[in-house]
Amino acid sequence: MKFTLVFIIVIMSIGLYGVLAKDNLIKKVIGISIMEGAVFLFLVSYGYRQDGAPPIITGYETRIVDPVPQALTLTAIVIGASTTALMLGIIIKIFNNYKTLETKEIRRLRG
Amino acid sequence: MKYYCVLLIAVLSLVLFLSLQDIPVAQDLMPASSHYVNSGVRDTGATNLVNAILFDYRGFDTLGEATVIFASAAAFKMLFSHKRIFSFRYGLSPIVKTGMGIYSPFIFIFGIYVIMAGHISPGGGFQGGVIIASLSILLTLVYGLWYKVRRTVFSPAISSNIESIGGFLFLGIGLTGILTGNYFLSNLDAGFFAGTPGHMFSAGSIPILNIASGLKVAAGLSIIFYSIAGGE
Repeated sequence: MKFTLVFIIVIMSIGLYGVLAKDNLIKKVIGISIMEGAVFLFLVSYGYRQDGAPPIITGYETRIVDPVPQALTLTAIVIGASTTALMLGIIIKIFNNYKTLETKEIRRLRG
Repeated sequence: MKYYCVLLIAVLSLVLFLSLQDIPVAQDLMPASSHYVNSGVRDTGATNLVNAILFDYRGFDTLGEATVIFASAAAFKMLFSHKRIFSFRYGLSPIVKTGMGIYSPFIFIFGIYVIMAGHISPGGGFQGGVIIASLSILLTLVYGLWYKVRRTVFSPAISSNIESIGGFLFLGIGLTGILTGNYFLSNLDAGFFAGTPGHMFSAGSIPILNIASGLKVAAGLSIIFYSIAGGE
């Protein structure tokens, strides 16, 4: 579990670095998506139980992993996909207006 | 600037590690989860517990989730309301077109299978909807934009209608619960066909809700892609 936690935090840090340090808007969106991945992994890994079977009842299981975090992760994936698509759409609009994706150059008002 | 970022992230990671490592590793299921595991099949008739939670116990949340997709597609329609055509107007080479023609029915059938078997095996409406939406995107990329405009069920006007049908089907199933004197989105209490757990026609309203959300996701993602690619 400790190893998983370290792995989650490494993924989270990579995503956060992408959001903070990169100037390109597409790279920021990629960073946010990587951070989403870390959160999904966190949710699913804390729903895991030792020697647990997948949450599909066939009648032969003794232990089953927690199905609730998986259902919540499914919800989170759908919403993450929607927000990523919306971010990319707004970035396309910004590119059409400013002809650049660098945050340092998107400063002036353009008619 | 970048060094400050790395320093900040290192401090935040340390705090995150110190705060998360105290979360105890549970050996047994939480009370709510163990109720779902023990009586999920009896309550809902679905053997796939994730789908039982998504469409029965927490069906209202799933309705909100479907609304998020609708909001995203609507925002896209608003952002890209004018005509812009990208370069894949006439599609790719005849080799790719022929290959796509051969395996597009299989992608479609696989998507429908994932939707229809959502209550008995891994899968469900959202996953299958994404598969069908990927078929829609592939058809547009391979055959060009005009093909999609002219015919196929994936044309944007029909996609909008299909998304509305999916939403209203979901709401209609929910309201059936109220009309029969139960709660919103109640499943077996509202008189839906229970069947034998593990069979295709079982689990009451869960397969119908799977179909509804599958239609909604497939049409919604097609609309999003089509709006970016440049339609009306």
